[in-house]
Amino acid sequence: MSDASADTALPIFLDYQATTPTDPRVVEAMLPYFNEHFGNPHSVHHLYGRDASDAVERARADIAALIGAEAREVVFTSGATESNNLAIKGACRFLRDRKRHLITLASEHKCVLESARRMEAEGYRVTLLDPGPDGLLDPARLAAAIEADTALVSVMAVNNEIGVIQPLAEIGALCRERGVLFHSDAAQAAGKIPLDVNAMAIDLLSLSGHKMYGPKGIGALYVRRRPRVRLEPLFDGGGQERGHRSGTLPAPLCVGLGKAAEIALGEMAAESERLARFNARFRTLLSEGLEDVQVNGALDPRFPGNLNVSFPGLEAEALIAALPALAVSTGSACTSASVEPSYVLRSLGLPDARARGGLRIGFGRFTTVDEIERAAAILVAAVRRLRGQASAAAE
Amino acid sequence: MPKMVFIKPDGSRQEVEAPAGLSILEIAHRNGIDIEGACEGQMACATCHVIVDAEWDPRLPEPSEDEEDMLDLAIGVTETSRLGCQIVVTEALDGLTVRLPAETRNMLLV
Repeated sequence: MSDASADTALPIFLDYQATTPTDPRVVEAMLPYFNEHFGNPHSVHHLYGRDASDAVERARADIAALIGAEAREVVFTSGATESNNLAIKGACRFLRDRKRHLITLASEHKCVLESARRMEAEGYRVTLLDPGPDGLLDPARLAAAIEADTALVSVMAVNNEIGVIQPLAEIGALCRERGVLFHSDAAQAAGKIPLDVNAMAIDLLSLSGHKMYGPKGIGALYVRRRPRVRLEPLFDGGGQERGHRSGTLPAPLCVGLGKAAEIALGEMAAESERLARFNARFRTLLSEGLEDVQVNGALDPRFPGNLNVSFPGLEAEALIAALPALAVSTGSACTSASVEPSYVLRSLGLPDARARGGLRIGFGRFTTVDEIERAAAILVAAVRRLRGQASAAAE
Repeated sequence: MPKMVFIKPDGSRQEVEAPAGLSILEIAHRNGIDIEGACEGQMACATCHVIVDAEWDPRLPEPSEDEEDMLDLAIGVTETSRLGCQIVVTEALDGLTVRLPAETRNMLLV
């Protein structure tokens, strides 16, 4: 939502995978629940509580509608990290007597990988599958990895660094057939690509408010009721959310998540089409101005709001330093001594140099055509400069 | 006459006669087995929570959603947990073995 021109200090925001601005319509929906209808939604005995509770339950239904679930199957959490922790640890611990194996992808978000690592410390075996060079999981590879005591498979729907869309329906069908729970981290997918937990045979699904133009600090976990999925909760307390997640529900945040879901459901198709045009235009402008632009991850199936590119010979950190007018990211972690190449790009089998060069660019709801055109020009100029070529006028 | 086995929290086993047509809860009460059954079989208390032997669990009819909802709230629920008031003994269930959990929570009082 920045009103950036070449002269102002605000860079063009192209980091929509990191976070999204809260849609003004969402902010407006939330505000009354801070200091007007401020009741605790669990205070069932008076109007203040009941008003808040009604609003929370409407929001719950809107979130369920976004993914084809029933309202009772939606559990509010503090965000996708908590949802992922609850899904993986909760499901595996509940099944501890019979099942001691879980499977996930090497390109998953850190909170999934770390939760899996925690289960390993608790005596479970973890299989980390590599995606293919395009970032996609081959279902045959998954089928070969499933064992008699596999509790859970966790595969994210849309990757946060490269935007590729995993074959969810195929994975779900395979897991259903083999009696294994299927969890999907849909933080980057919810509200952006169509999701249907029944068509895709998903048992557990995580989503995040601030990735879908909702408020920060709220997310949800879908927990299937038929057949019943049980979880050992992370928190002990008042037993809210049917024992799944104790803690007073933050009514304004819940309302905001619901509003964000309602908006996304209605605008998804048009937004997707717009983002696809932006993505194509941006790539065209890059390839017109530069030779040798490498796109990381399959272009199809991919969420069109994501682009991840490497420019041979250039490190992303150096490139970002030369791009003060753009807000983009590297998707790589900085250590004190050196820059680690992105573990996601490395999991694709890309050589370190290319993994170190990956620039993540995210388009979103408030991106304009003007921003795309200017950003591409700025990026082309910076790459040329760094490559020692003169920045030329359009040929 | 079918029989069934209750394994108590202290590990001891009690085999009892289990007339077909009675629920596990009713059979327990007839034999002085300590299952509260506070709501008298209305699926409202979860005190008749039993853990069915892994070998027997697949042979039981599937629980209803209402039973699953109450089991969600039972203490120490497991993969083979059931409500004793919902399982009716038949000839085919001769030998049915269930374990009593160490503690229960009466949802009528929560």
